[in-house]
Amino acid sequence: MTTKAEYSAIGKRIPKQDSELLVTGEAKYLDDIKFPGMLYGRILRSPHPHARIKHINTASAERLDGVKAVITADDTEKVKFCHLPITPNKMALNDEKVRFVGDEVAAVAAVDWETAAKALELIEVDYEPLPSVYDPIEAMKPDAPRIYEDCEDNIAGRVARNFGDVEQGFEEADYIFEDTYRTPLIPSCTIEPHCCIASFDSVDNLTFWVSTQNPNNFQKALSQVLKIPQSKIRVVRPQIGGAFGNKSVILPMDPIAAFLSKKTGKPVKLVNSREEEFTTTRGRYPMVVHLKTGVTRDGKLLARQAKVITNNGAYNNKATGISLLTSNRIGNLYRVPHTRTEAIIVYTNTQYGGALRGWGGPQAHFAVESQMDTIAEKLGMDALELRLKNANQPGDTTPWGWEIPSCGLTECLEQAAEKIGWSEKRERTGMRGVGIASVLHTGAGSAGTHGSGNFSEVLLKVYPDGSLGLIVGESDIGQGSDTILCQVVSEILSVSAEDVTVASDDTNFTPPSMGTWGSKVTFITGNAVKLVAEKVRDQLFEAACQILEAKDASQLTCADGRIYIEGSSKSVGIGEAANYCVQRFGKPVTAKAVYEPPNANPPDPDTGFGNYCPTYSFGAQAAEVEVDPETGRVKVLQIIAAHDVGLAINPLLVEGQIQGGVAQGMGFALFEGSREQDGRVINDNFTTNKIVNSTEMPLMKEIIVETIDPYGPFNAKGVGEPPLIATAPAIANAVYNAIGVRIKELPITPDKVLKAL
Amino acid sequence: MAKIKLSVNGKVLELSVNPQQTLVDAIREDIELTGTKKGCGTGDCGACTVLLDGKPVNSCLVFAIEADGREVTTIEGLKSGDELHPLQKAFIEHGAVQCGFCTSGMIISAEALLRQTPNPTEEQAKVAVSGNLCRCTGYQKIIEAITSVDPGQGHIRGEAMSSTPGGSAAENRNDD
Repeated sequence: MTTKAEYSAIGKRIPKQDSELLVTGEAKYLDDIKFPGMLYGRILRSPHPHARIKHINTASAERLDGVKAVITADDTEKVKFCHLPITPNKMALNDEKVRFVGDEVAAVAAVDWETAAKALELIEVDYEPLPSVYDPIEAMKPDAPRIYEDCEDNIAGRVARNFGDVEQGFEEADYIFEDTYRTPLIPSCTIEPHCCIASFDSVDNLTFWVSTQNPNNFQKALSQVLKIPQSKIRVVRPQIGGAFGNKSVILPMDPIAAFLSKKTGKPVKLVNSREEEFTTTRGRYPMVVHLKTGVTRDGKLLARQAKVITNNGAYNNKATGISLLTSNRIGNLYRVPHTRTEAIIVYTNTQYGGALRGWGGPQAHFAVESQMDTIAEKLGMDALELRLKNANQPGDTTPWGWEIPSCGLTECLEQAAEKIGWSEKRERTGMRGVGIASVLHTGAGSAGTHGSGNFSEVLLKVYPDGSLGLIVGESDIGQGSDTILCQVVSEILSVSAEDVTVASDDTNFTPPSMGTWGSKVTFITGNAVKLVAEKVRDQLFEAACQILEAKDASQLTCADGRIYIEGSSKSVGIGEAANYCVQRFGKPVTAKAVYEPPNANPPDPDTGFGNYCPTYSFGAQAAEVEVDPETGRVKVLQIIAAHDVGLAINPLLVEGQIQGGVAQGMGFALFEGSREQDGRVINDNFTTNKIVNSTEMPLMKEIIVETIDPYGPFNAKGVGEPPLIATAPAIANAVYNAIGVRIKELPITPDKVLKAL
Repeated sequence: MAKIKLSVNGKVLELSVNPQQTLVDAIREDIELTGTKKGCGTGDCGACTVLLDGKPVNSCLVFAIEADGREVTTIEGLKSGDELHPLQKAFIEHGAVQCGFCTSGMIISAEALLRQTPNPTEEQAKVAVSGNLCRCTGYQKIIEAITSVDPGQGHIRGEAMSSTPGGSAAENRNDD
């Protein structure tokens, strides 16, 4: 097997290919695009958390000079939609009821933003306010206001899993721990707001430009909501200004833009205000996790039982899948023979949640990893030793049926602990402390999560001059996936990575795909690209054989962008070989490849058993903090982030993912979280819902652990999400080590610390 | 509508602006330089940072008419012909760019720092970009990029006014 040192492109620190266009300001994002006659749309949103809509009067708004259309639900197809195929209950514009502050009621298209805003003020809506409920535990009570007529207890769904026998496990345990942990809604805070431009032509073809990580998903969803065939919809994606999972599925604003365009016959642009970003874009689901764990006195985990209460918010989106992920992380992190989980998903009159980097992983890990330290302390055991004792190992099959082909958890824990100075610093001195946390996440998306498999289809073509075009359905959302895919092509064909251009931005030609999510692009798309490059190589070798008069293709090899007879200086350029295929064989050099992991399948729909990811990425982060006893402020001094990535195709970009993930994890731990009063988000800007800035970032040191995954392309696996997941519990554990009090609700703000001291 | 005359990246321009119009909108819509971005509209994120007479400002908080008679530098003004500015090169090499949306504002803030402090410490660099929010990178590579720029490399020290009919904006500047 080739070692990393022998690769020509794999393992190289190459800057992202689009870097130059980004640093010069040349790259075009959605809001940089305009079309002749384009109109500007704004949405009228409910000021009430729960109300009946009795009447909407749009006459005054329509009469305002410069207003070209005002629409309500009657101007739409009234299709209820939601991403996961269960009980869709949200329409683009509501006609009967509104169920959270920010719910969409009407929309306007006008000649400029100011006119559109003025028009909104002229729309008269007669609401009948209804009693509302905001807390999921309150919402489940028998006397709580009913948010849906046909849903008596406001429970949108339940998901339960049961493996082994937890009663037996608790019976055998020497100690049982029960704790409750809480996490808030976390908005994505992409610096570029959600935005789109919709344009219908006169025969009802729709072109839809949108900041999205999943153009195909948008094409499908718009087709459903607009009731037009997918073939009439073209989704085009410009440069994206951040996504993190939150730009994967349509928001109501997307079909609203399309309906406005249909009515006006003009392109219509919508761009969320920052306030709309904080109040309506569906961040990380808030959860309450009750965790009960049984252990032996020498630290062996025997049983885990979890009850997860997810605040669904007002409408259905992804809560079931995400709550299930929270459950399965609780069930599979560490070797635990008996687990039982129950997730209850509850409607409330608040902003409804959605996907955000890590899905339900951060909530699960905050609970599990906080409790591990509680357990270690009670047992008189070192918190690191407790983790090592129970760590997942390569080759494990878990009780849930997960098959773990590669696992660097032990190495990550040991190296992170060593680097932070674990043994020296754990003895509590002053107000400083260190903490550690593990992470288990998918290394390559998952099967069955979005109601389908986990695959990627890609196309590769060779131009007559030897340069190449790679076409994929997965968007580069800033993490650099385009670049590493070029490195894969480069390695197989020995061309320069710069000679490969990636296109992924237009559903007219990109393969149907599930898009960028679940840390999957490196593994799933990378494997597909490896296959397609090998197919192209075979086609080129067929031509080269004839040109070079070689006996057969087994004599040929690629080097320096040319094809050689191995051991000789006889060679032909790749472009020349491609030309030969056209001239002599009558076919251009193009190939298609599809990769779907052979070792993963959707889990059993009833029991949840089964290996649903082809591989898993592990990691551990150690944090050192200092707590100010006067202000309660937690200062993070350093974070050591050790991540098992299989093999780093591009270490520069892997570091970028780790560092960026840590920054988001730190925000989750210390600052971020939507705060509501009577259902209204009261911290709806960057001052009141702050994210980490440059002066607050601690020193970060990354440790890339390479476990050489047997299934990954060049043994690589995903790293997009794990770095976010370990940070908050590592910090929480460090705070405990510093001040001796456990804070079980995020964010760990100064007032909570002061109260605890 | 008010008529203003300002220098943008060394070129003197005359614009007709609405008194309520922000500088960022004038830059993006009237002058059609879209490198400067809008992330919040309230001066919290820094994506709209430009230099106004060499000082970094959130252009969403500046009225276009305030730029009358003054020099504006946007991200488009940093490249010298085909030659990338040392900061731009450093951001590329250090992997300091991911989605790129904060990058224009980030580089402009860094440029303002380097003009004053050619060899900044890590702390100084952190403070200089503390008003530029980034959700992707975690800032570490951005700081590495900024502090890696060799103070000996020539880089833009201030816009020279090109002489155009009507005199330079510097001559016409209204003193505040």
